[in-house]
Amino acid sequence: MSARLAVITGCGVVSPLGAGVGAFWDGLVAGRSAVASIRRFPAGDLAPNAAAEVTDPSLDDPDRAGAFALGAAREALADARLDVAAVGPARIGVALGTTLGGMQLFERWIATGDASGLASVPYYAPATRVARAVGCRGPVVTAQLACASSTYALALAADWVRAGRADVVFAGGTDLLCRFVVAGFNCLKATADRARPFDAARRGLVLGEGAAVVVVEDAEHAARRGATVHGRLLGVGAAGDATHMTAPDREGRGAARAMAGALADAGLAPDAVDFVSAHGTGTPYNDAMEAVAIGRVFGPGRVPVNSIKGAIGHTLGAAGAFEAVMCLRVLAEGTIPPTAGLERVDPACAGLDLVHGAARAHRTSVALSTSSGFAGANAALVFGRA
Amino acid sequence: MTDDVVITGAGAVIAVEDAEAGLPETVRSRGARAERVTRLVLGAGGAALDAAGLVATDGPARPRVGVVVGTAFGCFLTNDAYARRLDMGAAAASPRLFAATVSNAAAGELGIAYRLGGPAVTLTAGTVAGTAALGHASDILRAGRADALVAGGADATGLGLKVWSMSGGFAPGAPPTDAAAFVVLETAAGVQRRGGPVLGTILAYALGFGDREEVAARALADAGVGAGDVVRSVATSSHLLAAGGPHALRSALANAPRGGLVLVVDACPTGHAAALVARAA
Repeated sequence: MSARLAVITGCGVVSPLGAGVGAFWDGLVAGRSAVASIRRFPAGDLAPNAAAEVTDPSLDDPDRAGAFALGAAREALADARLDVAAVGPARIGVALGTTLGGMQLFERWIATGDASGLASVPYYAPATRVARAVGCRGPVVTAQLACASSTYALALAADWVRAGRADVVFAGGTDLLCRFVVAGFNCLKATADRARPFDAARRGLVLGEGAAVVVVEDAEHAARRGATVHGRLLGVGAAGDATHMTAPDREGRGAARAMAGALADAGLAPDAVDFVSAHGTGTPYNDAMEAVAIGRVFGPGRVPVNSIKGAIGHTLGAAGAFEAVMCLRVLAEGTIPPTAGLERVDPACAGLDLVHGAARAHRTSVALSTSSGFAGANAALVFGRA
Repeated sequence: MTDDVVITGAGAVIAVEDAEAGLPETVRSRGARAERVTRLVLGAGGAALDAAGLVATDGPARPRVGVVVGTAFGCFLTNDAYARRLDMGAAAASPRLFAATVSNAAAGELGIAYRLGGPAVTLTAGTVAGTAALGHASDILRAGRADALVAGGADATGLGLKVWSMSGGFAPGAPPTDAAAFVVLETAAGVQRRGGPVLGTILAYALGFGDREEVAARALADAGVGAGDVVRSVATSSHLLAAGGPHALRSALANAPRGGLVLVVDACPTGHAAALVARAA
């Protein structure tokens, strides 16, 4: 294990609950849901057509995912009070996750023949845009673990910092709503009008969009420049289910391996964890799988659990990064936001201590965030209080 | 950093029609149903696992054996096919195609086929993604999060990618071709315990954005060697896209004298750059 420690010194979000970490956090704690009928693009033939959209008109950019990422990165940069020139561009990296990249540009090209912006279509493009805007010359990589993509982007950042490959990494995720993805999840019959994670009446996920970016920094580097530390990134883990391409392992073995791996990487036992941020999509299979997996790792009902997908929808490649920002606020505030949309806990998930109805005051020293995605991808992160 | 990372197997596929040759029947049947890039990964990844003596196609998932795939364009061809159908209206959306519009589909299929329950990671960094995958795999092994990883790069080409590229999407140095190149990486202590083959040792790697020479210098410095110590220095073949770096490494190690140092320098028109230093066995 490396002696270098990764800490978080900046956070930024563009969320359906509003621009900035403050609006995001306040909305989560209040139990607000940003889910409504889709308004930004033609959705008349989409059923269901509910989603959590970002409504800030200043972000109306054809490269929507890139604009989201840049907006979040700029807030994180300001929050971290970073002087890029002083750090040195070669010591700064970018690690983002996305599942759609410039898909809106691709759709437009197919529908209208408008070829402008086609270079921003690939999944690597949002990270490239952030790297150019920041002036970074260090590692620039995009994690592709489906809905665990941005969780793993933070893992990449932690590895680079701990191995001395970078002193500062902008890490997070970005994704957008478009017909490609809404029609896709609809045709898989995975969607619902309302996201109700872990609820007995849950019927499926509701999509969301936005970006979340954190500044992952070498602890000594942060101390030398007098930076405020929001939390420590103590451990990372990942594991494949190796069972099915779209359905999660019903026994939760892959997710449990990722969580156990992150704890081992952090050098912590499960009983050190005070709070778990679940993937909690609101699909029948995912939430039942997670109940099994979290029970396997932590024991029944021992640790408070929430999901924020009832509030901002499932933001896919950005979801893990949003949840990371939420975990950092939980560590700082000692408050766990409620699981919006959860009213009656599914008996299959009754082994979880689910926070719902109202925010819960809970002093938290260590938080774990878990994510799972198509193709059996699982990733987990362990955060410690500053 | 806890241990040296060694290469214990290698495999490559340059034509998708050859992807399933020599694979176990269960893997061939998965490949027959899969999209093009997944077939390439199954072929090259399977060959690398076979060369390393690490094939298992049944039983529980192996928690300490995983996969790291690098790809420039991943499932682009499936995205293209799905999006063109969707353009006719939501009723035309194909669940079969949509389920394959994730770039990590190939890693998932390889994991199911070869019982890989360890880290299952897919990365993109333009055409540098394959070299980035090798580097990241070495970081995972050195951090002790796996014992063995099949890692490399793959991209599938076809009409959809060609039309998009020619419309301004991407400008490779040469017309791209289907390709996948993978190696198996293990900790030196692990392979010594199990008595596997050793083709070479990864000494260092570096990633950067914009300046390939600066990245190469960083990799050499991290390895503690000078440019004059390198016996084979190879730039990647851009027409192989993300397979270029791993393919160059594989060829350079095979042709280097015993103990010779190899430097692979990988760069993409997007600005992504990577370099990797290895020693031939």
